[in-house]
Amino acid sequence: MSVQRGINMSLYESSDEYEVLIIVCENTLEGVFSGIYFAYEQKKSPKEIRLLVGEPKELLLFSRILYATPDAVKAQKVIRTICDKFGMNTYYQFCQALATMDEERADAVYHAIVVGLSMKSPMQLMNHLANDSVHKVFCLSRAVNNEILHMKGFLRFQELEGGILFSKIGPKHDIVEFIMPHFSDRFQNQNFMIYDETRKRLAIHPANQEWAFVDSDVQNIPSDDEISKHYVEGELEYQKLFQHFCDTIAIRERKNLFLQRQMLPLRFRKNMTEF
Amino acid sequence: MQIADYNSVIIGSQTQISIPGKMIDFSIIMEKLGVLTDAAKYDVACTSSGVDRSGDKSGMGNAVAGGICHSFSADGRCISLLKILLTNECAYDCKYCINRKSNDVKRETFTPEEICTLTMEFYKRNYIEGLFLSSGILNNPSYTMEQIYETVFLLRNKYHFRGYIHVKGIPGADPILIQQTGYLVDRMSVNLELPTAEGLKRLAPNKHRTNILAPMRQIQTGIKSSKDELVVFRNAPKFVPAGQSTQMIVGATSENDYQIMNVAQGLYQKFDLKRVFYSAFVAVNEDKDLPAIGGGPPLLREHRLYQADWLMRFYGFDANELLSEERPNFNVLLDPKADWALRHLELFPVEINRADYQMILRIPGVGVKSAQRIIQARKNGNLTFRDLKKIGVVLKRALYFITCNGKMQYNTKIEENYITRNLLSVKERLPFDKDGVTYQQLSMFENKENWLLPSLEDQFQSVSGQL
Repeated sequence: MSVQRGINMSLYESSDEYEVLIIVCENTLEGVFSGIYFAYEQKKSPKEIRLLVGEPKELLLFSRILYATPDAVKAQKVIRTICDKFGMNTYYQFCQALATMDEERADAVYHAIVVGLSMKSPMQLMNHLANDSVHKVFCLSRAVNNEILHMKGFLRFQELEGGILFSKIGPKHDIVEFIMPHFSDRFQNQNFMIYDETRKRLAIHPANQEWAFVDSDVQNIPSDDEISKHYVEGELEYQKLFQHFCDTIAIRERKNLFLQRQMLPLRFRKNMTEF
Repeated sequence: MQIADYNSVIIGSQTQISIPGKMIDFSIIMEKLGVLTDAAKYDVACTSSGVDRSGDKSGMGNAVAGGICHSFSADGRCISLLKILLTNECAYDCKYCINRKSNDVKRETFTPEEICTLTMEFYKRNYIEGLFLSSGILNNPSYTMEQIYETVFLLRNKYHFRGYIHVKGIPGADPILIQQTGYLVDRMSVNLELPTAEGLKRLAPNKHRTNILAPMRQIQTGIKSSKDELVVFRNAPKFVPAGQSTQMIVGATSENDYQIMNVAQGLYQKFDLKRVFYSAFVAVNEDKDLPAIGGGPPLLREHRLYQADWLMRFYGFDANELLSEERPNFNVLLDPKADWALRHLELFPVEINRADYQMILRIPGVGVKSAQRIIQARKNGNLTFRDLKKIGVVLKRALYFITCNGKMQYNTKIEENYITRNLLSVKERLPFDKDGVTYQQLSMFENKENWLLPSLEDQFQSVSGQL
């Protein structure tokens, strides 16, 4: 065994065709899709290419690191190919997968695209779960989708002076842009904002207008105490009413905190009114 | 003509009873909310699913077909709607009900305006998905239904609420009221209360089976004709677009599971119900006609009924396949699907790469989603056991019943006793303990003094093999 491994090693060293090419891209959709374009520009087998978001955490032997610069035109070309070949749903799933913090997210999407382009019916790409990259994308996208569904329910608004609804969330994944369309449709004539405290991003929706991210510095979002000083009249009362409602609705004979925790994980409760 | 007149009466009245937002006395509302939530908590159906409606600029809210759960209460049940009673005054004397006439409980009544304000304020803060309004019988069924109608009318037309509304149809109310309410709400349900007419007669002397089935039939025909109209007129009003549901209490009377399943199947087939809900009997009253149950509500039985209900709705099973006159109750140890598979071993093993969808659905450990994924994924090549695991099949249950490319995963026998033994060794994931006792009773873990931890000596002994 050891002898054989030795031979292989020498093979790797002698020819640079066996080295792994690591492409580092920026942590945005544009950055990753530019990275994918960049990967296709390299005359190399996709098996020898790895896509990374951000600097590699560990050094790899026999690897070369290249940096892909974000390029709107190139990214747009990749996006168009994805939409044409695999359909909008697959594109949406890719975007969801890229909203995770998983280290292999860009690599999985890249290799899923490679697999898809070689398939007879590329529209069926996301059904090809037997493939590892496709399965990885599927798992990531499902995780994000689950959190989106959770957040649509577990997010809580507090009404501030002037009728502005404010919400603070701390999601695992970067899901604000996925939940904003839902709330913008639901509360079309309301002024509301959603603040992601882990990523320090703030999205606002002015009444009857399109929603948008606030670009400027949002480091100075006031603390909870500070915010509670600006509650609209009645806000605290409605919070108490809802707490009372949640306490009363439970059937004592069926008490099951285990099931409750399974359905509503503790990490959400920090920002919820009733806990 | 009659309908138009009725509406104008309501519109006329709404100006008189409007309460300015700031003058609300919260302590009174708190009191009422407590009493009327407590009285409504035994109602099961708290789903917000079945209808897609986008928001608009003039109003507030939308509806999502998949439904959204906004919270979970201490019993692990979903809170998605503001589930309250309009009133807990009741003219009836049903023996299982906390609000029966002869009970001495605190009685409260919400005004329609109060309900609307609560709904809107809760909805705005994303606490709830909408309103679930039920009621005790105030004066008479028609009067109660009228109050419910007034509430939802205000909510839709004055407050422009576009979220989800579920109301109870009151048996015995004027059909025109039920018809009118149906055009405003998303879901309507009429409670069957108990599975059989005899049970109803014994425990709910004021209710009659025919009275319950009449509005159910009315809603069914209403939904059907509304759908027909929508084909021709795109903007025709939608009648109960999210469909009709019902619920029955399990364990208060002596019906067996086979009878209950047959009733449910009849409701699905003859009344086109969206859902039948089963509610484990909770002893809130003491009465000689009610069973004395030890160990809390029959949660395991309720769980088995829901499992079987799922099998009928999504897996193509018939009630008579799951149970029979000779075996009228579900197996306590095995879920209905595994139980069925063990009695039909001649159909197994199933070849995953070739079997049709219906057969794949019937394999224990394969759910609807994994079955669909199998059908899709196998178009791209033969599936192996590893792939099945990725797809989401629970292999530790399924492996006794399937082959991949002609081979079983391990050298297992197709033999009832053998498989049963192995399936039972894998602990079934139940939302509560086997005997229906919930985790609440493990109180010794809450009390640290009683919690015996292994001492250092014990740990040393376990290493040296003395324990």
